[in-house]
Parts: sequence; structure tokens; C-alpha cells
Amino acid sequence: MSETVITESNVLDALRSVMDPDLRRDIVSLNFVRNMKIEGGTVSFDVNLTTPACPVKDRLREQSRQAVLEHVPGVKDVRVNMTAEVRRPPAPETSRIRGVKNIVAVGSGKGGVGKSTVAANVAVSLARSGAKVGLLDADIYGPSIPIMMRSQEEPEIREQVIQPVDAHGVKLMSMGYLSGEMPLIWRGPMAHKALQQSLLGVNWGDLDYLVVDLPPGTGDVHLTLVQTVPVTGAVIVSTPQDVGLQISMKTLRMFQQTKVPLLGVIENMSYYICPHCGGRDEIFGHGGAARAAESLGVPFLGEIPLDPAIRKHSDTGTPVVLAQPESASGRAFAEVTGKLAQQVSIQAFRSVPLTIVEE
Amino acid sequence: MLTAPEERATPAEIRKKSGESIAIRWTDGHASTFGARYLRGRCPCAQCVSETSGERLVSEEHIRPDIAIEAARTVGNYALHFSFSDGHTTGIYSFDYLRRVCPCEDCA
Repeated sequence: MSETVITESNVLDALRSVMDPDLRRDIVSLNFVRNMKIEGGTVSFDVNLTTPACPVKDRLREQSRQAVLEHVPGVKDVRVNMTAEVRRPPAPETSRIRGVKNIVAVGSGKGGVGKSTVAANVAVSLARSGAKVGLLDADIYGPSIPIMMRSQEEPEIREQVIQPVDAHGVKLMSMGYLSGEMPLIWRGPMAHKALQQSLLGVNWGDLDYLVVDLPPGTGDVHLTLVQTVPVTGAVIVSTPQDVGLQISMKTLRMFQQTKVPLLGVIENMSYYICPHCGGRDEIFGHGGAARAAESLGVPFLGEIPLDPAIRKHSDTGTPVVLAQPESASGRAFAEVTGKLAQQVSIQAFRSVPLTIVEE
Repeated sequence: MLTAPEERATPAEIRKKSGESIAIRWTDGHASTFGARYLRGRCPCAQCVSETSGERLVSEEHIRPDIAIEAARTVGNYALHFSFSDGHTTGIYSFDYLRRVCPCEDCA
């Protein structure tokens, strides 16, 4: 009896049954399968996902392995190597920051909901997964990111280009650096210029994600952001309280009006974990943000607990995802980050290039 | 949450025909062609529309017939910006607005 010959097309046909659950297409037509090698009965290939933070990575690996083992005769061993390459949404090259693939805005309806804490932890969490990440603190009224990331020294300026500070593997720029110790008392046009400089005048290099921590509410900085660069999408951070949510709706509507896709809602201070007994208490009520997200048709990305450890690690400059990655809060941030990265990938695939054809 | 009119006001293709007009094909298949004078006369900026009353201060009859669109560019994901040959450059035309003022027979 002769040996069954395994061909690349047999393997690809088998892999067509493996679907990416977010993009709702099979991994072959998405061109995720790369570098296939067939040696005797051993088949090896890469599955190149759209984000290293993909939460379904292990599931896709197992499904790919099983599909080939079960449906391709003669295969004895399958080696799946999971890789990732963050795709950029198509947009005109002239209006984007060179080298930056995706810009993710983090907003909130009002101050004090923990927006900057979420932005810092999401950025560090993305970097931990292997992505190249930048974080721009555009909250001109209370730039707090440098404290949370323990990098308060001002960035260097070389040949009129700001060199971002490296903080926990994230390239960091804060509009707070532009004023030193002085408070930022800026009128609209000054905020506009300062944000443009912080976006375009910074040597970001190659980034998969640039996370922009916006000031609370809606205003000059938001408009400048959406008019200066194509924003891949926006995330709204809210507490479970209705009053907070009512106000967050306005921020949501602003992004809608300016055609910035909504990547989802994150509920912060969702519940309290007692440090003494570990019990859970829902101080501000529970599930408000999830219900609001559902009624608006926007993805709900998850809940972050009100945990003294988050506050403590923010104050000492090491975000909780780095200081205590295995804690309930650390895991909550990692989960939210994975869901967010999925939504960014979906947007990058869904959007169509917007260019003006000159005739 | 995206209501129907907002979904409709997403361009699939934008063409600038020399200085004379802008043609947009929308994602729902509808096609709009905006002449330069038509666009200039519907500029939504604060110099052309009163900010307090909403009254239109500059309309099509104030615009010379040979006006041209010298340059067009996209603004973020949501709008177009035009430089007109009369020097006017302050209008930001959101796609929602452009779809609302589509001059075709079906929309007018």
C-alpha cells in the first residue's frame, strides 16, 4: 500500500472549516494561514491573527490542529504556530500618523470614572501581549498618566520632534509635559495646537495601537482629534451609576456624529472586592453600563472592580496589570483588553478606504 | 444604535471632477453629484449661516457662476473640506449633511 501524499491544498481545504468568530470568515479566506511545511506525516504552519491580544487564540490553535488531523488523510502530527500582525484600517496615507496602525480614543462622560486608569492598564496590557503600543495623555485638564506610569521626567526634543518616554514597554507622551509645573489654562485654539503637536510632532515609530486618553466630556480636544487623524474607534468608560451613564451618552453621540466607530463600553468601579473577606459588594449598582451598551447596540467590553489595589498601584506608578497580573483586577483588565483588541480588528477589516479620486 | 439615515450617509466612493463638481456614491448604492456653486451656496460654516438664528447668510445666488472647487480633502472619518476659488475655506461638510442636501430628483 502506498503512502498517502499530503498536499498543501488538502490542508487548506481542511482549515476552511475553522472560523474566526469575530470576523465571521474562515481563516483560509482571511489569509491567516502562512508558512506551511509538509514533512512526511508532519504538517506545520503559522496562523497569523489580527492581534497578539486575541482572547480566542488557544481555541483557534486547537480547532486548526483538529481540523487537519481529522480531515487530511495521512497526517500524524500537526504543529500550529500562532503569530499576530495588527492590521491597519484603510485610510488615506496623508491624514494619518506615519507608522501608527490604529488610534483608539478613550473617553468618558464625566471626570472621576477612572478613564485614565483604564487607558493606562489597557495600554500596558496590550504591550504585555506583544503589541507595539503608544499612550497619549490628552487630558489637558488633569494629566494623570505620567504618575500612573511613573515617568514624570519631561521627554527629550530632538530636531523639533518630541521623543516619547518609554514607560513599562509603552511609548508615552502627555500633554501635561508641555506646560511643566504650570496648570494648563488654555483656550480652544491653544488646546487645538497642543494636541496636534502631541499627535503629529512625536516620534512614535511603528505602533500597532496608539491609545489616546481624552479629557472627560466633549470639547475642543475631541473635535481636534477626530479632525486631525482617522480614529479607528472609541471606547467609553463609565461607572454603573445611571447619572454617569446619562452623561456618557452624550460622548457616545459625539463619536457617532463624527463617524468614529464605537468599539464598546467598559464599566469601571463595577463592584467592590473587600480586601478583608474577599466578598463582593455592588456599591454603585450593577450592570448599568452593560444594559446601556445593549440598548445602543454597542459591544460591552467588561467590568473592572473597585479594588484598592488598582488605586495603590496607580499611585505608585505600576499599573495593576503589571504589578498583580493574576489578581481579579489584573485579569479583568486583561479580559477587557482582549475584547477591545478584537473590536479594533473587526473595524480594521470592516472599514472601507476613504479617498477622493481626482478626475 | 446607528439609525438608518446615519448608516446611509457613508460614502463608498468620492470623486472630484476637475473643479466643477464632487460625486459621491454611498454605501446604500445612491449616487449624488454636487456642483461647485451648489456646494458653496450651502456652506455650513458660521460665516455663511448665522450661529444664533440659523439663518442662511450666504446662499447660491450670492455666488458667481464660474466658481470652482480648487481642493478637496477628507476630515477624519466624517466630513469633507473644500477650498473654493473665491478664497472661502471654512466649511466642514459632514457626510450626514451632504446626504441631506443631495440635489438629485429623488431627494430634492
